[in-house]
Amino acid sequence: MSGQIDAPPRRRAGRMLPRMTALRRREALTGYLFILPAGIGLLAFFVLPTLRAAQISLTHWNLMRPAKWAGFENYARLWADAQFWDSMWITLCYVLYNIPVQTALGLLIAVLADRLAKSVALRAVIIAPYLISNVVAGLVWLLMLDPLIGMTNSFLGLLGLAPQGFLSSPDQSLISVAAISIWRHAGFTALLFYAGLQAIPKDLYEAARLDGASEAAMFRLITLPLLRPVLVFVLVTSIVGSFQVFDVIAVTTQGGPAGSTRAVLWYIYENAFQFSRMGYASAMSMVLFAILVLVTLAQMRLLRGDRSDLG
Amino acid sequence: MTVSPRLRRLSGQAVLGLVCLISLLPVWMVLKTAVTLPADIFATADKLWPASITFGNFLRVLGLPSEVAPPANAGAAISFGLAPPTTVIYTALLVSGQLFFSSLAAYAFARLRFPGRDAIFYSFIAATMIPSIVLFIPNFILIRQLGLLNTFAGMVAPNILMLPFAVFFLRQFFLTTPKELEEAARLDGLNWFRIYWHVALPLQRGPMATLAILLSIQAWNDFFWPFLTGQDESVQVMAVALAQYQSQTGQGQPDWTGLMAAVMLSIIPVLILLVFFGRRIVESLQTSGMK
Amino acid sequence: MKALIPALISGTLLSAAAHAEVAVDYWMWDSQQAPVYRKCADLFEAEHPGVKIAITQTGWNQYWTALQTAFLSGDAPDVFVNHATRLPEFAANGLLANLAPRIDAAGYDLGGFHPGLVETWSKEGAVYGLPKDWATVALAYDAGKLAAAGLSPEDLADLDWSPEDGGSFQQAIARMTVDAAGTRGNEPGFDGSKVATYGLVSNPFSPHGETEWSYLAGSTGWRFIDAPWAESYNFDDPRLAATLAWFRDLARGHHYMPTAEQTGKLGGETLMFSGKGAMSVIGSWQAGLYAQSMPSVRFAPIPAGPEGRSSMFNGLADSVWSGSGNPDEAWAWTAFLGSDACQSVVAESGIVFPAREALTEDALRAFEAKGIDMSAFVAVATPETTFPFPVTDYGNEISAIVRDALDRLMLGQGDADEILAGADAEIDRLF
Repeated sequence: MSGQIDAPPRRRAGRMLPRMTALRRREALTGYLFILPAGIGLLAFFVLPTLRAAQISLTHWNLMRPAKWAGFENYARLWADAQFWDSMWITLCYVLYNIPVQTALGLLIAVLADRLAKSVALRAVIIAPYLISNVVAGLVWLLMLDPLIGMTNSFLGLLGLAPQGFLSSPDQSLISVAAISIWRHAGFTALLFYAGLQAIPKDLYEAARLDGASEAAMFRLITLPLLRPVLVFVLVTSIVGSFQVFDVIAVTTQGGPAGSTRAVLWYIYENAFQFSRMGYASAMSMVLFAILVLVTLAQMRLLRGDRSDLG
Repeated sequence: MTVSPRLRRLSGQAVLGLVCLISLLPVWMVLKTAVTLPADIFATADKLWPASITFGNFLRVLGLPSEVAPPANAGAAISFGLAPPTTVIYTALLVSGQLFFSSLAAYAFARLRFPGRDAIFYSFIAATMIPSIVLFIPNFILIRQLGLLNTFAGMVAPNILMLPFAVFFLRQFFLTTPKELEEAARLDGLNWFRIYWHVALPLQRGPMATLAILLSIQAWNDFFWPFLTGQDESVQVMAVALAQYQSQTGQGQPDWTGLMAAVMLSIIPVLILLVFFGRRIVESLQTSGMK
Repeated sequence: MKALIPALISGTLLSAAAHAEVAVDYWMWDSQQAPVYRKCADLFEAEHPGVKIAITQTGWNQYWTALQTAFLSGDAPDVFVNHATRLPEFAANGLLANLAPRIDAAGYDLGGFHPGLVETWSKEGAVYGLPKDWATVALAYDAGKLAAAGLSPEDLADLDWSPEDGGSFQQAIARMTVDAAGTRGNEPGFDGSKVATYGLVSNPFSPHGETEWSYLAGSTGWRFIDAPWAESYNFDDPRLAATLAWFRDLARGHHYMPTAEQTGKLGGETLMFSGKGAMSVIGSWQAGLYAQSMPSVRFAPIPAGPEGRSSMFNGLADSVWSGSGNPDEAWAWTAFLGSDACQSVVAESGIVFPAREALTEDALRAFEAKGIDMSAFVAVATPETTFPFPVTDYGNEISAIVRDALDRLMLGQGDADEILAGADAEIDRLF
């Protein structure tokens, strides 16, 4: 059982090209061939447009007239734009509301489903929120969370609790948006974890049980370490996704009330398509990109650092 | 400190039950709204049950005669003859491409050694960190210049060759699988592609099926890109057709009952797929040698 | 089978054979009106053999993003429905064809349009769109709740209002507010924490307040801007602050109206249709949905303020894209959309009021045939009792600033004068 997470063994592949054996050269060639289609997709639809966006970020461009060279003006403006940093802060709060709960809940559902019920129906139910598009999910929650006619407040009323503003209250709007995202993605996350759990050999658990290990010990000593590759994957992708929260906000709050849900992607969207400042929006995108790269690198390092594999 | 296994099992099942309930409640709301008379939606918004049940909304979005008068803000009937097959073609094309090309790349990143491998892999992950807001305009212009607007090719182009999500996911699974079988195959003289296709990939049936389900649902719901590049009715997917039931004016209501009825109709194929694939997962797990 | 796959991929299975026809692309966002304009298109095509009108209807949420992408890639529609918020930047960036030379050459009659509409779409002699419809606002009320409050329709026909005491409008609102115990807002013992029916409900306050607040602000004599295409706004005017403070207190102090926290995004319609609201000011374009969803709804004129009644007068127009490959056909179609022939079709549909003034009566009759009395909307459609939608540069940026300010004001997060003065200063910095 290889416990590798981040990279397979390297054997200093980098500078050995000239001295490679024919076999090794063949392997490298095959590798390039295997990633060629994906690489073309990456180059044409991600790398090139990203370079284009980097170029646009150095201009003033309203999408309607030819762009004007701006040097680093957009970046200087961004540095001084309190609203941008405010939106970054809102986004960070959102990620902190969203990720821990979503990940823990996903893991809990996956472990319980793995242990207690293997039925297809259960997985269909768990993924049900994901079947409905973001827009429709947002609309349904608007209806359910409506302060005066919504089902949620009438339910709170039955419990003797005061009605809440949810999406209409500046103190609760961001949490409400996070809750809608958690509702929509917890099952999705659970299915990813579930696939990871299936890959753990069951005899490990049997051996541990014979040794008298408790459920908690088995989770800590077997499940978590062996699930780590999937955990790394889930954390990296969901944090990157969470930083780019947009759809739910676009349907439910449009950044309000009083700017309380103006997450960074909504602010970028406002600038790009409502204020016609594509150059500025691109500069903000570049900064967000850089921040996400740093966050991910830190995560990769952190998650590798406390590795404790079973060997 | 000792909790009886029975009690633990029960509490676990209770948690699962609660999760299912919360998962299903909004979906239930979609269904409830779909069978409600347009005039009753808001008066019964806080109720679990509809005041009365009608199938008229389904009929009217299908363009069939219906006793329920469409509300003044109703969308036109959806051409259900054309949109579902179109969406099936779009989804099948996109997902099969993604699964094949992404697993191929993931296998290379996990098993093969070549210079620059990890740098290239990290650039795949980095591709997810660029806000798509700044990507879609250059991509749209490219597709237009290639003359691919209103074609399936144009609609699937940006994501069919790879999805960083899928590449990353599958690489992690290839990495955690023992390589003994592959090494044996290598000694038998199989080439890399055959090892990937005949030895490595079959071991990943479970993750591949999970991925297939998730990607299919995603593709089925894809909206913005197909909306930009596939307006023409011959290539219009369900999500684009459904958009007309959403807000029609700046501050207007969507056609709630029509929208929800159309949504229910549009997720039926996915439900079928889910149950079908769900069974396949269970089967493949039983036969793939992982107990 | 092999041959089918490339055909499927390129999507050409159904592709039409080459024909010599000119296709004019026409984009709009209102699904309700799409069939109406299809009828116009059929009439037009009969008159112009060889020209086909391709109508694309796209929900409001995607309309503008799609339009901007289309401008950029050179695929924009020849003719499209335009909104006044987008007019300035589209015009300034040369995306809209100036129709004035065509209008002159054809001797096209602009005089028949409702006064004020062409002006909105003109700047310095250029005309960027032909008016297609107009809208005003009126007070929608639940006739059953009105009777229960002991009021008659006549009582609502002549409401007055002032920012100081709210006038008879506030009294009517108070009487129509009922708490859970059945006590009315004007009676002793009214419990504002448990309101069953609110006297007045509205959407969350929008930047232009078309149906939420501008009808009262306008009735004090306040205007958004002093002249079309102005470079400053009047958000720091004390009359506006007084008006909005009155609204805030109506909700937060008197509990006759839901507070900002109680007002969901779905807005006034949902509250009226669910019976939680007794009155709401609505736009004429909403009347059809109200009449259908709420049989007990009736319409009264908006209340008169210190300077009389005042409704926003807003209308959409058809604009021609300057990059259109078929400018002659595009103009012919636009001209037809504004002509009596198409405008009568619009009038007879009874959905909105057509821009041609002479057809207002026809539209009224069409509404009447659906059982909707629209006279309250028509009554204020005069130059004296309306003000135009503010057309200036930076429309969307101003909207974002004002939306945040109104949110804070209605949430009670500070003094009305201060919040509005801050927003006004921020807007000044844009110009």
